[in-house]
Amino acid sequence: MRIILTRIILASLLAFLAACSDQSESPSQPGLWKAGLQLNWVPEPEFGGYYAARDAAAFQAEGLEIDIRPGGPGVPGLQMVAANQVEFGITSADSLLVARARGADLVAIFALYQTFPEGIMVHAERGLKSIAEVFNGGTLAMEPGTPYYRMLERRYGLKQVRAVPYSNNLGPFLHDPSFAQQCFITAEPIAARRAGATPQVFPISEIGYNPYSGVIFTRRQLLAEHPERVAAFIRAVRGGWQAYLADPEPTNQAMHRLNPTMDPATFTEAAALQKPLILGDSSPARPLGTMELERWRTLAEQLRDLGLIERVEPEQAFVNPE
Amino acid sequence: MLLAASLEILLRTNDVPAYLLPPPSAVWQALLRYGSELTRATLQTAIAATSGLLASAVIGGLSAVLLSAHPWIRRAFYPYAVFFQTVPIVAIAPMLVIWFGYGLKAIIAAAFIVSVFPIIANTLTGLLSTDPALRDLFRIYRASPLTTLLKLHIPSAVPHFLTGLRIASGLAVIGAIVGEFVADTFQDGGGIGTAVEIAIKEQKTDKVFAAVLMASLLGLGFFAVVNGLSQWALRRWRIAEISE
Repeated sequence: MRIILTRIILASLLAFLAACSDQSESPSQPGLWKAGLQLNWVPEPEFGGYYAARDAAAFQAEGLEIDIRPGGPGVPGLQMVAANQVEFGITSADSLLVARARGADLVAIFALYQTFPEGIMVHAERGLKSIAEVFNGGTLAMEPGTPYYRMLERRYGLKQVRAVPYSNNLGPFLHDPSFAQQCFITAEPIAARRAGATPQVFPISEIGYNPYSGVIFTRRQLLAEHPERVAAFIRAVRGGWQAYLADPEPTNQAMHRLNPTMDPATFTEAAALQKPLILGDSSPARPLGTMELERWRTLAEQLRDLGLIERVEPEQAFVNPE
Repeated sequence: MLLAASLEILLRTNDVPAYLLPPPSAVWQALLRYGSELTRATLQTAIAATSGLLASAVIGGLSAVLLSAHPWIRRAFYPYAVFFQTVPIVAIAPMLVIWFGYGLKAIIAAAFIVSVFPIIANTLTGLLSTDPALRDLFRIYRASPLTTLLKLHIPSAVPHFLTGLRIASGLAVIGAIVGEFVADTFQDGGGIGTAVEIAIKEQKTDKVFAAVLMASLLGLGFFAVVNGLSQWALRRWRIAEISE
């Protein structure tokens, strides 16, 4: 068994090394810089700005040819960027800090969501007043091991609630009135309402855990070698998001063709729901994607207190788009 | 050991970062550091896998006897047994949660579903491939169908049944882990499947491999137990045969 396991590891290592060399040898076309953006989910409004930039030829205008690669559950975006299989990826600030602590020198260059878009969804009939009351009973489906799961576990304990794995399947929630689950604020609640439930959502940001999310990141080496390319990419992305926030419908139609399982009405609803999470509440409004050192520091300290990282060095983790 | 050493050298000379593929020494250290946590998780998984395997042995063995009774029964019901082999457990696992609820029952069901078919198929082959000369002998002595089954078919199928059990033992561990991915209740820690999930989320690649190693050790343990069982059973079977 051990020999077989070792052989599997060796085989995958060789495949991995082969994949690495393939990537680095791919010739770039004259004129345009070819690069990839690895999404962490299928085309949905949370990626609207990137598709808007693509459809408006904003990348070409900046001298770029960006291949937007849809993802799904389990796509290892952090590892793929770290291993130079793709240039840009999307993650949340907490995952990025943990990856940095494990030795991957990745840098955040644009933060879409100023408010953490994850929450706990419960049935409104339970009449719960706060996130703390979710832990007083019933079943709670979460991904074990995420930093905010650790945070909730430490703060409220799991003595009275039954903790079960989160899946992308709404069945158990619809089935059981005492069922609560983690959710992407702009996704599951809409689907649950469509299916006849009356969901109530407690945003995770309410407990003081508020990492940037929808964060674009790249390798520090790429940033150091080609700062002008990265800057051009961010300019196109920001333009794409401005266009998408002003009028999401044309891009929603294009994304619906790529992801027909999400119906047009849900695209419209989710695009409207995420707008305040993207624009934030700072006045005067700062340019889209901007990050603050203090928030990175707070997050790093929270992750250190949870035992997920050892050192707090937030200034290393991000570079603001110019 | 040689493989582990050469892998270690290969990884270090090629500068492969540990967060992509940890060298064996890092996995070993992770085993030491998270040993008690992973052992507890592995034992919890072992309970589910053992229960699933026992269910497979009993239900699979009895099903094979029923299927061996007549070609018509085989034609009618064997396709259902084949269904159990081809069912993609990852796809059906969320349904198990709906049917059995979260917790041990659904995990045992997942272990059962993936491990029952090799037992049915192997046992059935054994039951149907008895020595024709012996079958004629039983007919000459006008042995009843029950006697023929108990004294001829079942004893001659024992080695085949044990081969099926050997294949099923590894599968039961895989089934239990897949079951844990969707149905584990982890407020008190959870099984090795949940430990793998947590290690992946916390990006502790060394712990992921340590947990996978524990799972394969569990499979190895199962295999050793079934092997021991089969040596013991086959020895008794041969002695019985000689003394008659």
